Amino acid sequence: MNKIGMPRGLFYYYYYPLYKTFFSDLDARVILSQKTTRITIDQGIDAAVDETCFPIKVYFGHVKELCRYDLDYLFVPRLVSIEPRSYICPKFMGVPDMLRASIDNLPPLIDITVDLSRSDRVYKDQLFKTGKLFTKKTGRIKDAYEHGKQELAYCQAIAAQGYTMAEAIDIWQGEDIEQQLNGSLRIGVLGHGYSLYDEAISMNIISRLRQMGCTVVLPEALSLEEIEQEAATMPKRIFWTLGRKMVGSALKMEKMADIDGIIYVACFGCGPDSFIGEIIERKVSDKAYMLIIIDEHTGEGGLVTRLEAFCDMLKRRRRHKIEDYISAYG
Amino acid sequence: MSYYLGVDIGSVSSNFVLIDELSNVLEKIYMRTEGNPVKAVKQGYKELMEKMNGKVSIQGVGTTGSGRHLADIILGADVVKNEITAHAVAASFFHPDARTIIEIGGQDSKMIILQDAIVSDFAMNTVCAAGTGSFLDQQASRLNILIQDFGPAALKSKQPVRIAGRCGVFAESDMIHKQQMGYPLEDILMGLCEALVRNYLNNVGKGKKIESPVIFQGGVAANAGLKRAFEKILQMEIKVPPYHDVMGAVGAAILAREYIEEHQCASVFKGDSFITEGQFNSSSFECQGCPNMCEVVCIRRDKEALAYWGDRCKRWETSIGHKEVG
Repeated sequence: MNKIGMPRGLFYYYYYPLYKTFFSDLDARVILSQKTTRITIDQGIDAAVDETCFPIKVYFGHVKELCRYDLDYLFVPRLVSIEPRSYICPKFMGVPDMLRASIDNLPPLIDITVDLSRSDRVYKDQLFKTGKLFTKKTGRIKDAYEHGKQELAYCQAIAAQGYTMAEAIDIWQGEDIEQQLNGSLRIGVLGHGYSLYDEAISMNIISRLRQMGCTVVLPEALSLEEIEQEAATMPKRIFWTLGRKMVGSALKMEKMADIDGIIYVACFGCGPDSFIGEIIERKVSDKAYMLIIIDEHTGEGGLVTRLEAFCDMLKRRRRHKIEDYISAYG
Repeated sequence: MSYYLGVDIGSVSSNFVLIDELSNVLEKIYMRTEGNPVKAVKQGYKELMEKMNGKVSIQGVGTTGSGRHLADIILGADVVKNEITAHAVAASFFHPDARTIIEIGGQDSKMIILQDAIVSDFAMNTVCAAGTGSFLDQQASRLNILIQDFGPAALKSKQPVRIAGRCGVFAESDMIHKQQMGYPLEDILMGLCEALVRNYLNNVGKGKKIESPVIFQGGVAANAGLKRAFEKILQMEIKVPPYHDVMGAVGAAILAREYIEEHQCASVFKGDSFITEGQFNSSSFECQGCPNMCEVVCIRRDKEALAYWGDRCKRWETSIGHKEVG
């Protein structure tokens, strides 16, 4: 049986169920790297070019871990675009090349190009060729891909109930995770999934908020149409897929009466985020908004202080509003 | 008489205040943390008690600042609060009409926007600590002047020089350049003040509407040069409150008083002998439980472990009956 390694990083959080199903259906065994640890981070920083963003460095760490196993292939798709007329950050395009240049003894890479900006012809073609590595029957490849898409949709439906994508994937794989939706504050948390849902990169921001008594609302819980509708109100179309989703989600959340505040988690070295974080700050005027920038530092004090202060502010504000109401009408 | 103790353990300074039940400040201590918060807590407490001749019964304790959890372990705090909330509470107590609070401390700078004495927005410097107290400290010592003389010297300037304030490293090289060209010291100092103010407004104050009355607090507010620079650039009057250097501690004390009064409960304050008699020390180790290898800190009093933290999985933290911090 063929063994395929998959790093638990970057688009793992958006697409893992799809490719895991795809390869499993073709009788390959998918080996996933462990959750990010200190060692992953250290190895990644060591191996990666230092101009890249933190999540890419962490991804390198995951690849390093997988190199230790006896793999037949390593699956690192070259992501260019995942939908028409939109793009993923250019650094993603170079990931397979950067890996080849900086890591020795890599297993053979399956680096299919995912570029759906104009059509899905090339992508389907490459996926098909990939399938041919494992089976001769074209029908099976097609079925495996269709099955993968179904599983992905199922996993996304789990996330829509208020789980992070990381939790949704765990649930999809049979784990039992309790829903945490009864916080006294409802806070919208935005950010690129690969930084937000990796507990080591985001320094656990979501569980911290939950522990502070907040219900966290994530973009995955909003409907795609509504997000796109809101994003379309921008004077110029944002051509970064994730950036547009974030702006759309923020604008949508601003209109949701039950959301108390919005937090955007950005990575220090992220080019698109340096625009998107700003745009959201300027657009969201009706709700409390906080931009949190994360990077390699492990000092959690600054993060905790900001989160606490943000929650305190929202709680005190709300109490104040209630008092106002009583004095005016009571 | 009921007294409440407020403690603010910051990166550069540690502050202690005692307030009465009307939140009047009775006594304050401002001292340097000098990299040793444990010693600072103990010593500050001792000094405060000596000033009060030991005749006080403490009804409640509040801690804040980046060392708030540490102070909580040593003193036993009823309220452990972040410094933004503490500063806002103190400022709105002294100036109920305040709209904007500028707070510059040792490692961080904040802007707090108040509306009807409630925080409506705040911002804090991001990863970079350029333009905070520790940078001023460093520059003062490089120029061989006492930090206390920094402000008065800067005020003598008639023509401040232009210094890049975007980054502490750039600012320093600019200053050295200007100094070697022969510009007078006071003009360089005032130039630095203005650079820091511009940096603060561009970084922390970005997109915020600054409305008067503006309150300037934190250790750096003692620097008259910065106050003047803020006034010049904002074209507004800037007020520096009487206890500007210990406002965090005042806020913590007020929060403790509110908490005790609201809950009608006894303080968890550990008392004189616990604080002054034992030997507190801390040690750290790398946990080998999993590949995360968290750096765990242990705080001990004599041989007894009081608290652990720093572990992501909380296996150490929860190994002691330690109350929830927040």
